[in-house]
Amino acid sequence: MAQIETEYFGTMSYREDSVFEFPAGLPAFLNEKRFVPIESPQHSPLLFLQSMTRRGLCFLALPIQVVDPDYRLSVASEDLVSLELAPDRQPQLATEVAVLVLLSLRDGVPPTANLMAPIVVNLQTRRALQAIRQDALYSHQHPVPPVGESAC
Amino acid sequence: MLVLRRRAGESVFIGDDIEIEILAVSSQGAKIGIRAPRETVILRKELKLTEQQNEAAAQSVSKKDFEQALEKLRT
Repeated sequence: MAQIETEYFGTMSYREDSVFEFPAGLPAFLNEKRFVPIESPQHSPLLFLQSMTRRGLCFLALPIQVVDPDYRLSVASEDLVSLELAPDRQPQLATEVAVLVLLSLRDGVPPTANLMAPIVVNLQTRRALQAIRQDALYSHQHPVPPVGESAC
Repeated sequence: MLVLRRRAGESVFIGDDIEIEILAVSSQGAKIGIRAPRETVILRKELKLTEQQNEAAAQSVSKKDFEQALEKLRT
């Protein structure tokens, strides 16, 4: 297995076919085009998105189903084209795409998730992008409810 | 917030060199044109918010109280 240097987890092994490819990068991080999803049983269902080029850049993410089981996906057709998905309908969660939301932890404030701009990953090709919604249905600072069971 | 009523074809100026023109209005939304100096950054608000949110998110894992903050996510 290939290895990657990370700031927070030290050296990690990863599978090349697990890498998310962001051809356009992420807003504010346009040059970061490849991320390794890192799952850690003790933090489940939390996921770490580790940049492959900046060892200090690591996002925290949750599957959208965990944050809002009723989330209505609305990916713009040009984004669907970039993801190599059918542009005329919304993709199927879990079978066609994985949808993750990025978390922000700030001091003294409950954690929030950006539901306005979820990360959408084509599960077949691992192509991914941050799909910014055009509507105003979801907040970019959605409070995150407690998730999962305590590890101990 | 300053609120103005403008019709298609009408404009407003912001300062001396930024002009915002209403090109068309329909039930789908308003189409606006912006004339501004080349160095002026113009972003859709959603993109601006996402940039700011991503900057904040990128700091999250480096926080000293990262583990503590994660605890908050658990019951």
